[in-house]
Amino acid sequence: MQGVAAGSDSTDPIADADSTVHRTARRDRWLGLASFAAMLAVWFAITGSGLWPPLVPPAFLPSPVTVAQTFVKLARTGYQGHTLLHHFLISLMRFGIAFAFCVVVGVPVGLMMGMHSGVRAVLDPPIETTRPIPKLALLPLFIIWFGIGELAKTIVIIAALFPLISISAMQAVRAVSVRKIHAAQSLGAGRGTIFRRVLLPASLPGIFTGIRVSVGIGVTMLVGAEMVATSDGIAWMALTAADFVQTDVVLVGVLIMAALGYGLDLVFRALEQRVVHWAGKD
Amino acid sequence: MSIEPVSLCCADRRGATKLVVDRVAKRFGSGAEAVQALLPVDLAVGAGEFLAIVGPSGCGKSTLLNIVAGFEHPTSGQARLDGTAIAGPGPERGVVFQQGALFTWMSVQDNVAFGPRALGRSVAESRDIAARYLELVGLTAFAGHYPYQLSGGMQQRVGIARALANEPEVLLMDEPFAALDQQTRELLQEEIRAIWRSTGKTILWITHSIEEALFLATHVIVMTARPGRIKAAFTCGFSREPDPLVTTTAAFAEAKRVVVSLLRQESLEAQRQETAA
Repeated sequence: MQGVAAGSDSTDPIADADSTVHRTARRDRWLGLASFAAMLAVWFAITGSGLWPPLVPPAFLPSPVTVAQTFVKLARTGYQGHTLLHHFLISLMRFGIAFAFCVVVGVPVGLMMGMHSGVRAVLDPPIETTRPIPKLALLPLFIIWFGIGELAKTIVIIAALFPLISISAMQAVRAVSVRKIHAAQSLGAGRGTIFRRVLLPASLPGIFTGIRVSVGIGVTMLVGAEMVATSDGIAWMALTAADFVQTDVVLVGVLIMAALGYGLDLVFRALEQRVVHWAGKD
Repeated sequence: MSIEPVSLCCADRRGATKLVVDRVAKRFGSGAEAVQALLPVDLAVGAGEFLAIVGPSGCGKSTLLNIVAGFEHPTSGQARLDGTAIAGPGPERGVVFQQGALFTWMSVQDNVAFGPRALGRSVAESRDIAARYLELVGLTAFAGHYPYQLSGGMQQRVGIARALANEPEVLLMDEPFAALDQQTRELLQEEIRAIWRSTGKTILWITHSIEEALFLATHVIVMTARPGRIKAAFTCGFSREPDPLVTTTAAFAEAKRVVVSLLRQESLEAQRQETAA
């Protein structure tokens, strides 16, 4: 929270309420860590990790130690002609381009849909009717249309994220309280000012929610995008390794994607707390 | 007794022309679904007068304020400010809402500076104006805070400062203190009295509270249950009393008795309508 501490002292009721929240947050953070540690411990235990005979065959589930060793080996020697960093960056790029496009185009489109019923009437049917279609099912079609290059892969991710981001922006605008708009009007604000200083900032929390949801889904979509017609990318690496029953490589790929998704979520969550620290506190 | 029955209709108040509500009526919806919110209401408010409107829930008093604010258009009739018909919201009519109308994403100072900025004043000038009105409502120390960091009473002060910052001709206040606790409300009422006296603003004040109306207003209107129209109007002298404890006098109690008994019939009628529906 920015600019909060100024002028407040220890008897401040706001600070008191905050400290209770902080205590709970600290406890929940420990619970989260404990849950994570327990998961890791179970994985250790059932795979033996060299300390005792594994309960499941290593080909099914390699131990965390093996996975770590494989990670180091892949980082040194690469996989199938490309470095691990290359696989990671190419996946990040595919996701990044699609995601950036959806934010840069989808948010304004959603905002316009929220503000003009005409725009909504035109754009709502195509978005709503295509939304339930699993976008992966369209991948073969996209490859026929856009070739086997990067374009089809980017478009399949865009197809999944665009409706999410634009519709959350639309709903965010429509949820802005009419009282705040009335207040701005009676203070002499014109349409431009109301958009810039009321509608847009008031919609930011909703837009952020849409963006955060779409980060998780976007990373998932990488798997689909790299399923066919490619020879690099983290998801491709995991999929290819599965064909050769290299479960340790599969797990390295899966964990890298998980870390990517989690890391991006952390970034956007931090951004959200900075930018819309006032969200939901009306 | 310090309240006197009076007629506030335009024809009887030739001198009072600041704000004129000329046979304004409002119907929502159409056909069988239509609801008559407001029967023709006719009233005139003079410059510097403080008009409080009390009435049972759903009597259309907020509708009346929304029409004067320009948020809604009357089905028939016309509201005028200084002889000019009201066609939409405008900065010459400052509005203070019950709650939830502050810009949560702006600091207190930016909330108050919003109006001057919207009217084209420079950032520095708007900041100075905001500082002046924040001082008036006693929130100078909280200029950099966000609304969610303030109590309900402080938030309403921000709302008042924000409305005043444009130096409007008229202040329209829609139950601004309804969500506050009794003690906070009483203190803010005294502040509003002081602000009204020092600025000489014309104020239109919607409230549920008869005490609040009698304590603050120069004129009090009692509205009927829906469809709303003016049931009675009074001039009221308590707002001129410097002593805030005037509310504990026998004269105040007597005035309250008169208004309560009028309003009680209408509240019963409103309740009957509700249970019949």
